Amino acid sequence: MSDSQDYVIEMLHITKEFPGIRANDDITLQLRRGEIHALLGENGAGKSTLMSVLFGLYQPEKGEIRKNGKKVTINDPNDATALGIGMVHQHFKLVEVFTVLDNIILGAETTGAMGFLKKAEARKKVEALSEKYGLKVDLDAKVEDITVGMQQRVEILKMLYRDNEILIFDEPTAVLTPQEIDELMATMKEFAREGKSILFISHKLNEIMAVADRVSVLRKGRYIGTVNTAETDKQQLSNMMVGRPVQLEVSKTPAQPKEEILRVEHFCVPSHVHKRNAVNDVTFSVRAGEIVCIAGIDGNGQTELVYGLSGLDKSNGGTITLCGEDITHLSIHNRSKNMSHIPEDRHKHGLVLDFTLEQNMVLQRFKEPNFQRGGFINAGAVRKYAERLIEQYDVRSGQGPITRARSMSGGNQQKAIIAREVDRDKPLIIAVQPTRGLDVGAIEYIHSQLVAERDRGKAILLVSLELDEVMSLSDRILVMYEGELVGELDPKKTNVQELGLYMAGAKREGKEASA
Amino acid sequence: MKKEPFLQREGTKSVLASLLSILFGLAFGAVVILIVGLTSKDLGADSAWEGIRLIFGGLFSTGRGSTGLLTWGFNGQNIGNMLFRATPLIMTGLSVAMAYKTGLFNIGAPGQYLMGTLVSLSVALGIPAGSMPKAVIWLLAFLAALLAGALWGSIPGALKAFLNINEVIACIMTNWIAANFVTWMFGISNFKNIVENTKSSYIYKTTYGLVDGTYVSGAGIATAKLGMDKLFPGSQVNGGILIAILFAVGVYVMMEKTTFGYELKACGSNRHAARYAGIADKRDIVLSMAIAGALSAGGAGLYCLAGNTEFFWSTYQSLPAIGFNGIPVALLAVCNPIGVIFTAIFMSMLSISGLQLTNLTAYNEYITDVIISVIVYLAAFSLVIKMWLGRKKDKVGAVNANAEPAPKAEPPAGAKPEEPAAAVPGDGEKGGDAQ
Repeated sequence: MSDSQDYVIEMLHITKEFPGIRANDDITLQLRRGEIHALLGENGAGKSTLMSVLFGLYQPEKGEIRKNGKKVTINDPNDATALGIGMVHQHFKLVEVFTVLDNIILGAETTGAMGFLKKAEARKKVEALSEKYGLKVDLDAKVEDITVGMQQRVEILKMLYRDNEILIFDEPTAVLTPQEIDELMATMKEFAREGKSILFISHKLNEIMAVADRVSVLRKGRYIGTVNTAETDKQQLSNMMVGRPVQLEVSKTPAQPKEEILRVEHFCVPSHVHKRNAVNDVTFSVRAGEIVCIAGIDGNGQTELVYGLSGLDKSNGGTITLCGEDITHLSIHNRSKNMSHIPEDRHKHGLVLDFTLEQNMVLQRFKEPNFQRGGFINAGAVRKYAERLIEQYDVRSGQGPITRARSMSGGNQQKAIIAREVDRDKPLIIAVQPTRGLDVGAIEYIHSQLVAERDRGKAILLVSLELDEVMSLSDRILVMYEGELVGELDPKKTNVQELGLYMAGAKREGKEASA
Repeated sequence: MKKEPFLQREGTKSVLASLLSILFGLAFGAVVILIVGLTSKDLGADSAWEGIRLIFGGLFSTGRGSTGLLTWGFNGQNIGNMLFRATPLIMTGLSVAMAYKTGLFNIGAPGQYLMGTLVSLSVALGIPAGSMPKAVIWLLAFLAALLAGALWGSIPGALKAFLNINEVIACIMTNWIAANFVTWMFGISNFKNIVENTKSSYIYKTTYGLVDGTYVSGAGIATAKLGMDKLFPGSQVNGGILIAILFAVGVYVMMEKTTFGYELKACGSNRHAARYAGIADKRDIVLSMAIAGALSAGGAGLYCLAGNTEFFWSTYQSLPAIGFNGIPVALLAVCNPIGVIFTAIFMSMLSISGLQLTNLTAYNEYITDVIISVIVYLAAFSLVIKMWLGRKKDKVGAVNANAEPAPKAEPPAGAKPEEPAAAVPGDGEKGGDAQ
């Protein structure tokens, strides 16, 4: 091992506790100058906590942080910035109604006499940076109007603008399209070549293998080890991360489709951003015992299609028939009698974050006779039910049923939603990006749950942006492009290249269709 | 699944934060008295000491003895009056707290209170005496007030639900519409007190009843005493306080134990998730505001129908302080309906202390307004205090709840922008000196 002068940042024996949980237990992380260092771990393994300690958001109970071999204390993000540490958070920290330029200079404004902003100067610097690294952004667009990919470039420019030399990327690819991911990887490598040091938090093994020099693995708050990517493989990494051999492929038998459950005919949903329909004249059906996947690049009408089916949005044409009943004009409540829905956005739709886990578990069911008596909630029954789901679906949290949903890790939040929706036991399950932002262990679990439900005779409509997931999980693939279904493929007879051709009828720049 | 230690529980921290706000507020008042006392020619250290004692214990002051010293003891009149003043405050506090729990900031309590005043008085004075039993008239007047408040509250609720208009703005506007509307309505009504000429700007007390076209004292209605007058002789208190407490318990049960409350709270903390789950989010927002409005107006009903209160009807320039004071009452109680009972009583205790101060010393009652203002600011800060308590715990392990409050004035600068409105020590009840 070389002299500690080689390390630009060292976090030694960091321990951080929260009520009921030890998020970081004696973790050591050493970052070399000019390397891309991946931090790998399942949700709740303590990655984000560790980074928050480095960024000054939390104070560790034990341990110390060194920069260039010298001990430093980081009490808040300002200290971190002063030390040249910058971070792109998983959920971007941007002011939506400000322009891109304003967001970049926010907090690091250069001002002239009388405190007036020197925007022209800032603009020049940002333009130079964006030129140099090929980070294309529209400086005068408002953040709320630009794509997620561009928002991320704004976050990266923010770090560069502050001349940060230690860059933390927290799950940066979770929100990107495949093309954007490639661009990001290239940019990260460029940074490393220039001598900047990068901490790359992820649980996507492909990406880590592609871009990182070394990987440190955390599991349940503990440090497992650091390996060179050149000397390891995906299987070993996932075993380290999960602590047991993990199956990376989905195992399933051929589907045995039975009767038709969902029939959608000439279905249209208006768009909120443009005059055309977001979903235009879509016709398809899903039968019991099969997984039908809607594939496509984000923003091609998948979200609106699901909103239209679930009743969150109004449709303006066509019919939906569910279990033989025309549900086109029914309320959300009445539709959900035969439909489970694992929503795309678990924070917006899936959970009431300020409610406890048990309250969230009965979000649709609290009025059912089991859970209430004469309008009064039967707290005992709710508790029992939640405990059963927690047990059965292995939902982990600090305080069990009374944990606030907000305090749970993303993977366990998603598990809770899946437990709730699957346990409602409806003939149709709509699952929208059910594994987004989750780690290998959780993905494996959720995939096996969906396959198990299929085998129990459920009709499953899966919407996914991940090609791997589409290929391995579905029995039929429908490709959606610009609001229309442009192809139906059999995953056994097609390959990723062909699928990609259908999906990328054109790569859409600019606004995303959002509801 | 261990239970958290007592001192680290959310609830404990909230209560501690509120108690600290109160202690700081009282201490601040004591300092003001001290400074005024020591710098004034007519006062002095002795009277300052008397003032301070009255601030903390005014409720148990029984006047001055033959030696001229303050005497102390059980004072049924003070306590009764305190409970009487607390009655409408509990209701407006409940209104704000309940709305807050459903994600809405009901700053419209004053307007809803005024509408309750208008309707309860109009019904009570409008029904000819003797046409039906007094109890029925009382009940009709009270229910009508609830209904009026519900309708008035549902206006900002509907604007929020269907047009996504911020309820704070809508509430402020409906407040002033109510103030002008009420003035106009009473202005053209027959309810103005013309018997007692000195009181020509007041509406009849509800003890006046309409007999053959004229108002006769004693023919009207008044809230039943329900034995409260025996408990606290010589005071104004009546059964209204019991009704208000009943409402508080009712709101608590509704919010915490029923599916309806669950639905309202789900809708309040995440409207999208509520919609996703099939809850009628728009209807629930309107209902939340309607219930909040009914509670405020119910407070007005309990106050006006007491029989010993008079309403200054030309109210278009000021909004009733009782409405606004619902906000600090709710905040201090961290929006817990049961807590509201205690914080409302506490606020009323301060105003009783203020009266004692005026009656027994050369200080005036406005000192208690200063104290209330400080407490209001600190209540808005209670989050900060909670965080501070959290830190303290991190370092020391356990925090000593009643550490002596350093009597340093907390400069109430930088309060949240919405809050200062609550601090307006308005004087709407009596109208008094309109600018």
